[in-house]
Amino acid sequence: MQELGLVKINHDGQEEALKSELLTLNMGPQHPATHGVLRIEIKTDSEIVAQATPYLGYLHRCFEKHAENLDYRGIIPFVDRMDYLAAMSMEWGYVQAVEKMLKIEVPERAEYIRVMVAELQRIGSHLMAFGTYAIDLGAFSPFLYAFQMREEILRLFEELSGARLLYNYIWVGGVWNDINKDQLDRIADFCNRMEEEAKKYNQLVSYNEIFVNRTAKVGIMDEEMCYQYGATGPVLRGAGVKWDLRKNRPYSLYNKLEFDVCTATLERGVLGDCWNRYIVRMNEVIQSIRIIRQCLDGIQDGIVMAKVPKVIKLPKGEIYLRTECPRGELGYHIISDGGKTPYRLKVKSSCFTHTSMLPDVAPGQMIADFVATVGSIDIVLGEVDR
Amino acid sequence: MHNELVTLINSKVGGANATTSVGEAGDASITVEGAKLYAVCEMLKNDPTYSFNVLQVITGTDFKDYIEVAYIMASFDPAKNYELILKVKLDRNNPEVESVCNLWKAANFLERETYDMLGVIFKNHPDFRRILCPEDWTGFPLRKDYVVQEVYNGMVVNPEHKMNIPDREFNAKQKAAEKAAAAASGAAPAQE
Repeated sequence: MQELGLVKINHDGQEEALKSELLTLNMGPQHPATHGVLRIEIKTDSEIVAQATPYLGYLHRCFEKHAENLDYRGIIPFVDRMDYLAAMSMEWGYVQAVEKMLKIEVPERAEYIRVMVAELQRIGSHLMAFGTYAIDLGAFSPFLYAFQMREEILRLFEELSGARLLYNYIWVGGVWNDINKDQLDRIADFCNRMEEEAKKYNQLVSYNEIFVNRTAKVGIMDEEMCYQYGATGPVLRGAGVKWDLRKNRPYSLYNKLEFDVCTATLERGVLGDCWNRYIVRMNEVIQSIRIIRQCLDGIQDGIVMAKVPKVIKLPKGEIYLRTECPRGELGYHIISDGGKTPYRLKVKSSCFTHTSMLPDVAPGQMIADFVATVGSIDIVLGEVDR
Repeated sequence: MHNELVTLINSKVGGANATTSVGEAGDASITVEGAKLYAVCEMLKNDPTYSFNVLQVITGTDFKDYIEVAYIMASFDPAKNYELILKVKLDRNNPEVESVCNLWKAANFLERETYDMLGVIFKNHPDFRRILCPEDWTGFPLRKDYVVQEVYNGMVVNPEHKMNIPDREFNAKQKAAEKAAAAASGAAPAQE
């Protein structure tokens, strides 16, 4: 316990020294605001947070050690289980790294499908972030609206891959299963309705005065802090930095597609606060719809799987490849010794870096504001602990 | 880009002995002396042409006779947009390197993770302890010779009824068959 100081009170001429201490409070491991099993030890001075220390590892499965004993195809299902809310994006990054080492050309139709599912996944993930963030701040019904739309994405993925959350759909060389005309029509229909829904969400939550009061000017992570900690994704863009790997280091089809990089809008609040991080996500949903529509126009008939050797052996060497996932940049560092399994596979997880920012942003905040801050960086503990 | 960086590092930091290495495929990397790591990082971060303002990740790899720690950094600037894998080779029995927490705060958690998984000691780290494993865990999981402890705090780590024995036997059988096939064809057996 840290000593704050002595307060001297005079009771009927008798001097009494009152000692004030910091109260230690454990937030988690089971706490609705931590979105998983994260424990944050908070030292509070009444309602004000003086210090916050995250304790990670409750979901640690040492995926990196597992990967050293699995062949390159066998790793894909494990990769899914990192960020289980954006499994498609996780797979895509890993598969791209392997393909780049093997110098495999992916068929164009497969690329279109990949971009589409990744953007649908981005919408799904942001809907989840939107819904649970509203719950964190005490509004329950937005969660139900968000899940209604997310359910349609999950249904579609279920038809494509056979699974609702952990897909194992994007394979080395292409995708597992082709998409049919009916499903494409349904995606187009979904885009139209999602656009309308997004307007409703904005009316309901984004510009709601209570919501704005809870989030604007709270939990400020400015540009310099983001660079110091290596923050990426909506956290970095919420600080006003125009940085998106899909634009700055385009991969796949992204240099052919038209879309804007969403940054802090500053309609409410200041740069890098919770509200601006939140609105970046809401605007990205609209941009994802734009991307999906262009893909629906551009997709042509063809094969969805390239020729891939039966046993995948990566040439000796290493690769570091990063992609833009819903929560930030995801990087895979594969070191190969020429064998059937990777010698070392390291994942750069954006959630891990964002968690490391919490001790810096917490001091001086109210406990309720700290909950808002944790919710606004939108972490998934599967990716933090791996 | 890598050759220019090597010249730059060697001219600015004496004794860094920067060399570049490229695999058969993928990305190139630069290796420097472990003792000069902090100076090299400081120079790279403040260099006006490259300005690696973001530390992305720290990777450790156990190569059996040495431990390699890779610092992957990037410049978040649309005009520069560089990416670099900077490596140091450390003695496996006594892996020690200077912490770079003063340059990038991101290093705090990343170095703790590298210590937790590989046992690399980072000198002058502000809060040096394990991060993912429990504090009283023994051993470093990502070392190649790691054997998981049998009992932890009175709990059996891998109880028999939870082991997948048929799978294990199948894998062992397959490995033996592969080895026999490799021996029969006269090729060198695959490295474990």
